[in-house]
Amino acid sequence: MLELSQQAIFSGLLVGSVYALVALGIALTFGAMKIINLAHGELVLLAAYMAYFIESRTGWNPYAAIPLAFAITAVVSIAVYLLIDRIKLHRELNSLILTFAIGIILTNGILLVFASDVRSTNSPVLQDALSFHTVYAMKGELTAFVVSLAVMSALWWWLKLSWYGRAVRAVSSNRDAAMLMGIDPRRVELAAFLVAGILASVAGVALFTMSVVQPALGPALTVKAFVVTVLAGVGSIPGVFCAALLLGVTEAMTVTLASSALQELVGMVLFLLVLFFMPNGLFGARARRG
Amino acid sequence: MLEVRSLRAGYGAINVLWDVSLSFPKGELTAIVGPNGAGKTTLFRALMGLVPHQGEIRLDGRALKAKTWDLIEAGLVMVPEGRLVFKDMSVEENLSLGAYPRRCRKAQSRNLERVYELFPRLKERRGQPAGSLSGGEAQMVAMGRGMMSEPRILLIDEPSLGLAPVIVKEVLGIVRRLKAQGVTIALIEQNTHLALSVADNVHLMRSGKVLLSQKAAQVDLDRLHDLYLAREGGPANP
Repeated sequence: MLELSQQAIFSGLLVGSVYALVALGIALTFGAMKIINLAHGELVLLAAYMAYFIESRTGWNPYAAIPLAFAITAVVSIAVYLLIDRIKLHRELNSLILTFAIGIILTNGILLVFASDVRSTNSPVLQDALSFHTVYAMKGELTAFVVSLAVMSALWWWLKLSWYGRAVRAVSSNRDAAMLMGIDPRRVELAAFLVAGILASVAGVALFTMSVVQPALGPALTVKAFVVTVLAGVGSIPGVFCAALLLGVTEAMTVTLASSALQELVGMVLFLLVLFFMPNGLFGARARRG
Repeated sequence: MLEVRSLRAGYGAINVLWDVSLSFPKGELTAIVGPNGAGKTTLFRALMGLVPHQGEIRLDGRALKAKTWDLIEAGLVMVPEGRLVFKDMSVEENLSLGAYPRRCRKAQSRNLERVYELFPRLKERRGQPAGSLSGGEAQMVAMGRGMMSEPRILLIDEPSLGLAPVIVKEVLGIVRRLKAQGVTIALIEQNTHLALSVADNVHLMRSGKVLLSQKAAQVDLDRLHDLYLAREGGPANP
């Protein structure tokens, strides 16, 4: 039992890093544009299927699919941005309906092209298991964790130190004041969508290498991202990362100790508990006092 | 010279500015005085392209482009009230965003040192989130940020708001120094005495109209106050 729990915690941490990437993508576009992209989970899934496509056609490592995955998610991201940009009335609310619809279209598109079968990587390298004392991990899981961490560090650097990244934070903080700094908010919003697309493409490819994907997974990913965001209570990268690891571990423990049927349920229970007892999230209150 | 002719501006169905015509002569300090709700801030926001407007805005005889970021690239910079700092970013990040226009990026670190010299308090608090500052400190951040943008024309929205009198003096000293460097300055100020003590020209606004435009030296303070307060002697409802 103890060993099983240790294994669950370890696997949960590894998958949690990918949840963090998905959540940060949603947080980025929400910050810049104050709209929630409900199709973000489907973007991630689209990237996962690009990884499947490349692997099944060429036999290459799925990570070779990142450029293709990014090209596709970039096109979809720009399309989503341009559609949202045309909404003049009640943008916050109407964009929910719009992106929800785009999500449904993407899900059915994937279903049409790739059929409803469950897919996962066939790469012997990625499926190779490594053991650390009592716990095991697939090389694919470890790679996904390392890649996610690297991408998050790059995102942190971009937001903190690049002019575009700072502009995204400025627009998120105060749109009028940002314009007074000479920032063109629409270019910044588009940049935020493209970077969210990069995050989605990496997350999708990583997800494919460590887990199984199927066409209906999109909404579940979006919901996980929400749970992570509420759990974190702040948009900071370390906060989101910790919350995502917590969700990953909670899910893995539930699957190991109870049943895999409860995996999605436990995330929602966590979501409700946090809303009831810590409405500011795990890190929100402290950040506000700062 | 920044000139405004028959400017109308407002928010949606509500019109705030009615046929406003005034000018800000080159290299001079022009104060805009008037009570709350006179449309002073709206005038600045319209000049910066943040509020939809009709009418003519000319810079050195040429019509201004309407995009805010183009104006800032051209050297027209606005210091908004201190509430408009980026609250979740540090003081230093706020200041460095002032150097966002391409023409200001090279001299960023030199300008930052200059701002810290003028506002030592900001240097002490450089790592602190701007949202945790007092109103006066936030006002200093807004001012410093505007200076980072190397303005040729600087619009300052009520720099004295929420500042202790000693610091108001300091800020006005800095405004004078900027003017001495050749920066054209427009200043919103509710306190007429303060405005007259630094300004070359004064425009009085009330209810979205300009009621008086004069050289500061020629202003009759009683008449200015009559107009300001809509007392006897001035038109009750302009």
